[in-house]
Amino acid sequence: MRDRQDGSRGVPGMDDKRRAFLLKGLQGAAVAACGGLVWAHLLRQEAAASVLALRPPGALPEADFAAACIKCGQCAQACPYDTLRMARAEESVPIGMPYFVPRDIPCYMCSDIPCVPACPTGALDPKLKDVAKARMGLAVIDAESCLSWQGLRCEVCYRVCPVKGAAITIQNHPRQTSKHALFIPTVHSQACTGCGMCEDACPTEVAAIRVINPKLVQGRIGSHYRLGWKSDTPITQQFKPAESSSPAAEPVPAEAPAPKTAPGMDILNQGLEP
Amino acid sequence: MHLSRREFIKSGIAASTASLVGLPISKLAEAAAADLEKSWQWDKSVCRFCGTGCGIMVATKDGRIVATKGDPNAPVNKGLNCIKGYFNGKIQSGKDRLTQPLMRMKDGKFDKKGQFVPVTWEQAFDEMERQFRKTYAEKGPTGVAMLASAQKTIQEGYAFNKLFKAGWRSNTIDPNARNCMASAVAAFYSVFGTDEPAGNYDDIEYTDTMVLWGANMAEMHPILWSRITDRRLAHKSARVINVTTFRNMSSDIADLEIIFKPQTDLAIQNYIAREIIARGAINKDFVEKHCVFATGPYDIGYGMRPTDKFAYPAEKDVQAKELKVTLDKYEAIGQRRQAGEVVEQKNTGNPAAHWLISFEDFKRGVEPYTLDFVAELAKGDPDEPLDNFKAKLKQLADYYIDPQRKVVSFWTMGFNQSVRGTWLNEQCYMNHLLLGKQSMPGNGAFSLTGQPSACGTAREVGMFCHRLPADRLIPNPAHRAYSEKQWNLPAKTLNPQIGSYYGKILRDLEDGSVKWLWVSVNNPFQSHPNINHWLKAAREMDNFVVVSEAYPGVSAKVADLILPSAMIFEKWGSYGNAERRTQHWRQQVMPPGQARADIWQAMEFSKRFKVKDFWGEQKVPGLKVEGYEDGKLPSVLDEAVKMGYSPEDSLYKVLFATPANLKVRWPDGVAKGHPNHVVTLLGDGWFPEKALWQEYVPFTRGDGKDLADFDVYHDDKVRGLKWPVVDGKETGWRFNEQHDPYVKKGAGFDFYGKLFKAIPSGDLDKVTDPKPVSVAGKAKIFFRPYAAPVEQPDSNYDLWFCTGRVLEHWHTGTMTRRVPELHRAVPAAVMWMHPDDAKKRGLKRNDLVWLESRRGKVQIRVETGGRNTMPRGMVYAAFFDEGVLINKVSIDAACPISKESDFKKSAVKVYKA
Repeated sequence: MRDRQDGSRGVPGMDDKRRAFLLKGLQGAAVAACGGLVWAHLLRQEAAASVLALRPPGALPEADFAAACIKCGQCAQACPYDTLRMARAEESVPIGMPYFVPRDIPCYMCSDIPCVPACPTGALDPKLKDVAKARMGLAVIDAESCLSWQGLRCEVCYRVCPVKGAAITIQNHPRQTSKHALFIPTVHSQACTGCGMCEDACPTEVAAIRVINPKLVQGRIGSHYRLGWKSDTPITQQFKPAESSSPAAEPVPAEAPAPKTAPGMDILNQGLEP
Repeated sequence: MHLSRREFIKSGIAASTASLVGLPISKLAEAAAADLEKSWQWDKSVCRFCGTGCGIMVATKDGRIVATKGDPNAPVNKGLNCIKGYFNGKIQSGKDRLTQPLMRMKDGKFDKKGQFVPVTWEQAFDEMERQFRKTYAEKGPTGVAMLASAQKTIQEGYAFNKLFKAGWRSNTIDPNARNCMASAVAAFYSVFGTDEPAGNYDDIEYTDTMVLWGANMAEMHPILWSRITDRRLAHKSARVINVTTFRNMSSDIADLEIIFKPQTDLAIQNYIAREIIARGAINKDFVEKHCVFATGPYDIGYGMRPTDKFAYPAEKDVQAKELKVTLDKYEAIGQRRQAGEVVEQKNTGNPAAHWLISFEDFKRGVEPYTLDFVAELAKGDPDEPLDNFKAKLKQLADYYIDPQRKVVSFWTMGFNQSVRGTWLNEQCYMNHLLLGKQSMPGNGAFSLTGQPSACGTAREVGMFCHRLPADRLIPNPAHRAYSEKQWNLPAKTLNPQIGSYYGKILRDLEDGSVKWLWVSVNNPFQSHPNINHWLKAAREMDNFVVVSEAYPGVSAKVADLILPSAMIFEKWGSYGNAERRTQHWRQQVMPPGQARADIWQAMEFSKRFKVKDFWGEQKVPGLKVEGYEDGKLPSVLDEAVKMGYSPEDSLYKVLFATPANLKVRWPDGVAKGHPNHVVTLLGDGWFPEKALWQEYVPFTRGDGKDLADFDVYHDDKVRGLKWPVVDGKETGWRFNEQHDPYVKKGAGFDFYGKLFKAIPSGDLDKVTDPKPVSVAGKAKIFFRPYAAPVEQPDSNYDLWFCTGRVLEHWHTGTMTRRVPELHRAVPAAVMWMHPDDAKKRGLKRNDLVWLESRRGKVQIRVETGGRNTMPRGMVYAAFFDEGVLINKVSIDAACPISKESDFKKSAVKVYKA
């Protein structure tokens, strides 16, 4: 569109009334679209924030959970400790679905897991029979603010952990600066349920141990590497080379004619930088 | 000009990602994963990288490497790796792994100006042979050369050494260990008469004091640093001292950090010696029984060419010092001469000469090295108060001298890569010997090796231009005769003239003396100093350069022919690490495509040559040795025929597939079913790696260097053995009666090395009685003076430049930069610089600058923070980055005795690009 002398823009050959009508329609559509945009924006924010929500035991993976949960609130009703809350619009987690804040009320790991059978849709998976197999999150320790790390005798998290000895263990190290030992609480992801009893009990002003979605904190050692002392791998006594049909079995015969191109050729023919 | 960092990372390396190795555990249920791993096949092996020599295990499945782990049974590392070793399973699978011979061609023929085109091995060897014969006919044995490697397997080193020396009668084969350990070797020879350290890594667990001399062990010997750190933490009185030219990660746990000016370690060590004497701390009993005093000439030059014919105009001023030097005030005091005195360098031809002196003379030699003198000379941080520095030097002397302290000195390239590298090594032994703190658990000077098998492959095998296996030397007629006998060669087959060393081979390429060069398992056109010269020589001179490589690095780019080579785990092999531990491994997987082991390349190529091509008379320019006609090697063909050879015999038959070796058959139970592609390709049913090993070990037996039999190293329970291995037992501390079977009962200590143990006598300045005196059984305490670096900062090139490595990358990065994770961790070389130096030049962190010397310049980014903290006046950049060829800048001056290049100090200027 080109500019008019009065500064406005317009389609050439259109009168004012029609223009006004069209504009009004456009504006209405824009409001609707904007409203839609705002709502879509909210939903996207929520989806991004959903990684912050700690779900009840047995919850399906987040996308499936969001699809299955009908926000009926039965799980929250069933929980004897009022651990679960249904998210309201202004909270930082997606609206209407159950979550918990361990520092307020952790999951107390009921052996009969009453929240799961209360769920009518299977958003909390009824296959969960052993509450120790729940994976609601992963406890992570901030070494700087953990009193045990500083050398004090605390280890409250270790003692209150309902899977004590498996999810949290104590590793002793010499304290370099005096003849005392350090008692370092160490979380083991293969046993931690994410119940948050540790976070709830942690005596520091801001909890030094927190339950968080493992996706946010967990790394992975390369699948090409094993920690040498963790598994016994004796030297194979009868090595079986690759199947003779596989290309990895025999050296490539010399009679094979030279191909037209080979790896590295293009870089080599670029030569050196000046 | 502003370049983004991404643009600046040149070449296809960033895009060459390793293919996925192994099966991602996350995709499998845990139970299925465990089941799958049950079918993996594990075997023991070693890490590909540094001289620490960690043990690892390798898992394969269906002919592919699926995982590695640190070997929990390896005494060196007990299951640990550093971040390079962690990727041992991925270095073989870079996208641009060379799998086909490539040759420069035009119109279907070799053409030095052509582009690389894939060829068959047959075509490659055809041209290689044609060029070899052409050069050999024109130039004789000195016209063909090999730049070999301390990263070859021991058997490969042995095979190439034999091919060159026994087959082609050429001594022009020298390894990159020349630039790594040569100074250490020269000092082992001059002080002890035998190569390699007395102690072993267990010294760490016995000692109270660990002094690092110019060695950033935290990054360069990472697992040894773990052991040092544990010792420091567990043993309350343990102390770690970092003597360095700039603050680095090794300072993190150091109790004392001494920043010194480049090359003033020569003065600092003399200060310590002077203190030992002044405080009456000499271990008189030990010194009288086991040591003698010695010294040598000072006017030995700097390992540069004696002519400036090939020097760029800017190089000529420094080049001139090879002929004469004007002493500065410090050299004058340290050498008992006058400041400003002009000294002609008369002993460049005989720099290793040395003679006995009295203790009084030794004392007089160290007398000038007072605390005041040395502190003023050596203080390396201009911002450090002098009194502070003095206190530190004194503390260092205290640590050495304290009779309650056991002391281990560690060093690697800070000493070795110096124009006075041999002297620096000798000085370290000087102080340990004076104190009697040597060859005992926790007490001794420990020369650390940088590469995985400088010890095993280069030094022990004698794969140098002047050596033969097991500490034998080319110039020694008895050693040559012994080797000829072991190798079943006619007398006088071996060339008695020392060949060109590594740096000289490159100079020979430049001046046309060498016209056929085989580069194997190293990357000299990136890693040697002053590469502008050699890059031009390779491409523009009339020569033929063959490069055996795994990846397309700089040397491959300037080659005429590239041979794809098998990497570790793709071939049988062995390495010898820094503590004399020899470790063997089996082949785990096939090399990819047409890649073949170096040992196959040597043997297959040798099939093309006949005895008559080389064992007739050969011209050797400059040969002047008693018992030989000047300028030539005699024909040994008659003698050969008498011994049962035919002139038509191939070198393969005479050197490798000998009757004795053919008896070592394949398959062999020691293989446990593992393949051997070399055996398959050779097709004549013998087991080269075992046969050549068994052929080699007799060289090592009887003189304190004993290696064990092949099968012993492959025993499931063995994780390498520290030689000498006598009656099945390894040796922890050499020369010590309680630990070394070669020391007679009652001797206490016996420095039984044989080399250079009959020397003349003299005073501090010269020989006074040339008659050789035997010092059998003794170690030598050398007086060596301070000498200034040949190139120092001036008004034009106003900064010191030093180079070395970083933990994440190995050498020229051909392997580690192809591991995406390591490349991401450290994508490019940066230049560490003091923030004030940057500010003064209008530079800020991350600015692109020119780093320029007399010899060349490169672009690089400024780093004012990070892992290294430079003093004002000095910059540091690592050499792993093909996109930042810092060796265009470095100087090819060398220790005249060892011929090892000085990478640690040259003069540069830095300005915005």
